[in-house]
Amino acid sequence: MSKNADKVKITVGFEDHLKEISVKINDNDVLPYQPTDSFDEVGQDRDRLDAIAKVTGAARYTFDRKLDGMVYGRILRSPHPHAKVLSIDSTVAKKMPGVKAIIEFHEVFRTRAVRYVGEGVAAVAAETEAQAEAAIRALKVDYEVLPFAVTKEDAMAEGAPAVASPNSSNVIAPRAWGRSEKEQQAHLEDQKAETDEAFAEVKHVVSGNFSTQVQVHNALETHGVVCHWQGENLKIYASTQGTFSCRGQATSSRGPIKARNARVLSEYVGGGFGAKFGLRREGVAAAILAKKAKRPVHLMLNRREEQTDAGNRPDSYQELKLGLDSKGRIQVMRAHSWGTAGPGRSGAGARNSIIYNIPKIDKVEYNVRTNCGEARAMRAPGFPQGAFALESLLDMAADEVGIDPVELRKRNDSHPIRLAEYDMGAKMIGWRKNRNRNPGGGKGAIKRGLGCASNEWFAAGGRGAACLIRVNKNGHVEVRSGGQDIGTGLRTIMAQVAAEELGLGISDIETFIGDTNDPRCPGSGGSTTTPSLMPAVRIAAHRMAQELLTLVAEKLKWDIEKLTFKKGAVVRKDDKKLKKTVTFKQVCALIEGEVLEINEKRLANYGGFSSTNSGVQFADVEVDTQTGVVRVKRMVAVQDSGVILNTKTAESQVRGAIIQGVSYALFENRVMDRQKGHMLNADLENYKIAGALECPEIEVKLLNVFNGKNNTSSMGIGEPPIIATAGAIANAVANAIGVRVMSIPITPKKVLEALKNKGKRK
Amino acid sequence: MSRDNKATEETQGVTRRGFLKGASFAAAAVGTGSLLPPPQTASSQNEEEVLILGTEETKIALTINGENISTEASPSTTLLDLIRGPLDLTGSKRVCDRGSCGACTVLVDGKPICSCSYLALDAQGKNIQTVEGLMVGDKLSPLQNSFVSCDALQCGFCTPGMLMSCTALLEKNPNPNREEIAKGISGNLCRCGTYQNIFEAVHKAATGGGK
Repeated sequence: MSKNADKVKITVGFEDHLKEISVKINDNDVLPYQPTDSFDEVGQDRDRLDAIAKVTGAARYTFDRKLDGMVYGRILRSPHPHAKVLSIDSTVAKKMPGVKAIIEFHEVFRTRAVRYVGEGVAAVAAETEAQAEAAIRALKVDYEVLPFAVTKEDAMAEGAPAVASPNSSNVIAPRAWGRSEKEQQAHLEDQKAETDEAFAEVKHVVSGNFSTQVQVHNALETHGVVCHWQGENLKIYASTQGTFSCRGQATSSRGPIKARNARVLSEYVGGGFGAKFGLRREGVAAAILAKKAKRPVHLMLNRREEQTDAGNRPDSYQELKLGLDSKGRIQVMRAHSWGTAGPGRSGAGARNSIIYNIPKIDKVEYNVRTNCGEARAMRAPGFPQGAFALESLLDMAADEVGIDPVELRKRNDSHPIRLAEYDMGAKMIGWRKNRNRNPGGGKGAIKRGLGCASNEWFAAGGRGAACLIRVNKNGHVEVRSGGQDIGTGLRTIMAQVAAEELGLGISDIETFIGDTNDPRCPGSGGSTTTPSLMPAVRIAAHRMAQELLTLVAEKLKWDIEKLTFKKGAVVRKDDKKLKKTVTFKQVCALIEGEVLEINEKRLANYGGFSSTNSGVQFADVEVDTQTGVVRVKRMVAVQDSGVILNTKTAESQVRGAIIQGVSYALFENRVMDRQKGHMLNADLENYKIAGALECPEIEVKLLNVFNGKNNTSSMGIGEPPIIATAGAIANAVANAIGVRVMSIPITPKKVLEALKNKGKRK
Repeated sequence: MSRDNKATEETQGVTRRGFLKGASFAAAAVGTGSLLPPPQTASSQNEEEVLILGTEETKIALTINGENISTEASPSTTLLDLIRGPLDLTGSKRVCDRGSCGACTVLVDGKPICSCSYLALDAQGKNIQTVEGLMVGDKLSPLQNSFVSCDALQCGFCTPGMLMSCTALLEKNPNPNREEIAKGISGNLCRCGTYQNIFEAVHKAATGGGK
């Protein structure tokens, strides 16, 4: 590859929005995929490589691991929402059959405080799960029970008990970004005064107060690990979204585990929606129990624990106000929000100010501490709640201004990709024809409505990933990364990208993932696994191809510049018929020694076409005005995720995000008991998740965008499509019944209440 | 599973005597805790004795995926724990452990049941089919094939249960429409959201496209 730092011209964009830009290509990198490239593997519809293991039951998840001598861990959990652990008496538990080790959490985690029902207190390892369960029940804990608050309202009330500690406030003011408290106060006042002026000047003002519920991740495979010490070294099978962060935690000199070396294995993960990073307390407890018991320990949470102590999406209450000019262009926005992420101090913001062009914004986010299970990142953290509110208010603004809601969005959005997507999606859903022109009117109890909302996400990825490719003399190709596949189809696209460079099919390639003995890969967060890892795979495969072609060129005295791999053989680039000369296997036979290995790192991003990816969604709903039941009949999604590497698995991601979005919009809701602080529906029959009967017809159009951000132009697609769904559905419901439900989940009760109040308001 | 536990009854299944013995034992234990032969204790030397009930193992003979298997387990063992544990058929998953998610679905005499809520003893004398028994020889079943080609799975944790429910559905209704498929898997939850792909896969298998 050229070490020349000169800029080259590349084409970026999509469909008929292509343009040329000059880029300085990183040393050692390959040019980003170009619209004129022809592909045999990349961008094709390919079955996922591990599908057969998954349909035969052969795939071994962490939960399925069994090691010789393995014992089972269980965690004792606090029945109090706020307490201090004074002492734990394990006299009886120690004597119980099968018990191998007991640990007290205050000794391991250096805190005696429990701040929500379900927070861990102690753990036991025993020969069987039942013995471990019996033993934790035999532990006698002396608690100092403290006053608590489980709702935002209770925590914000005057004289409310301190949720976390006596000297910390329950309401956390917005981040000050380095400003002093006084400066911050002045800043917020200025921001308010400035926007007040702007509101006074605009033609139209609309406002609304919106609320969203706590959603629980509920990955089907719960959090957990199997820990196995081999001397000072620790082997961890983990159901995780980040193999390397688990390893880091296990070997950290500041952490409680302190393994000399650790190897984390995660070949199959039964779902991860943002909460499965790090070992967490259950992972640390398992490692320590395993050390004490001198036996491998299997510790997986049960469903109740998964719902109460493994994260959730914070709720929100949002006061929103928009000012628009006579043409419907937004001039000013106020968005004040309050959310709870449990006893922690951050993470409960509602994000809604990035898509539309808004000159003046007064945005303030408060985090309210409550004695509830802690929030963790969940699929586009902050965004679905923010989008539900803002997208709802945009439709209210469109009514006020008297223009079409899609048109209003287009007037306030300047992203070239999304501008094209609005038109595509509107056409797919039949926006003009099918939208209800008389919301709430007409005959019959069932009303139909359409709604629209948009999304934006930052899935360009970045550095920190590497890929190892090993080619054996016998022609066997291995592509390796230590990263994890949480259900997205990672190993399949690794094989596709490598196969493209090597002129092979994906079945010619064996992929290895989920083992920290292989090259580094970032955690699967922010939808960045694909765009972070794939460029490394491509560089490694490209360099491997060059090395192999060099062997042929030297042997046969050919000009390497004219050679490439195509369909399993070496061909001359200038030969239109691509006559096969030497097969890939014959080339591999020229390898000196047994194997050729290439390990390459991911390089920095380029400017490219767009650093964000965008999408637009449309919902088509029916509302029964007698029962209040909302049925989502159809969803249309137009989604950009850069160059789509595998159309089949990418589309599955979008469909899945939409179903989770439908579930968020209509069903899911953590219900807390204010009196006792317990989650009342920590199971899967009362915590309602969308099932097959609630699944709408979903139509997905994936936009192939040559964004030039990296050599594969790929972006991640897991999170963006969940952002718009609830907003689109809420707008469709309003279009159907002529009145708006300002709170999700949109339950039959809320629909009936809204219908009842509709008459009153007039 | 411990093999050295001595089962006193050679008969398979629940005998009247065995049942009554167990029942009266349990009732007495709840009532007074001292009328019948002493239950196992954790350690007889120590001052505080710990009462352990129901750990005695019994023989269980099952027909799983066409194979006759005999093993020993506590009578309270669920079919799920037996097949995942001593039999090491880990395809069936435990997700909710109370029959509300379908991840543990297996077929008992062709009917889909939640094996987390079904005692292994009750499955004696019946034909049990798990995901591991779906392949025909070394070939995937048409339904397994169409699950692969329609990408009817993501993380794959619900997939074994989904496949069992869909297998039972196709047995009963060889050409189901979308609504019927949705009803057929309404007891199976998928958190990744693959339902639409599953509808397509079942349709494809039903119409001969999964071969």
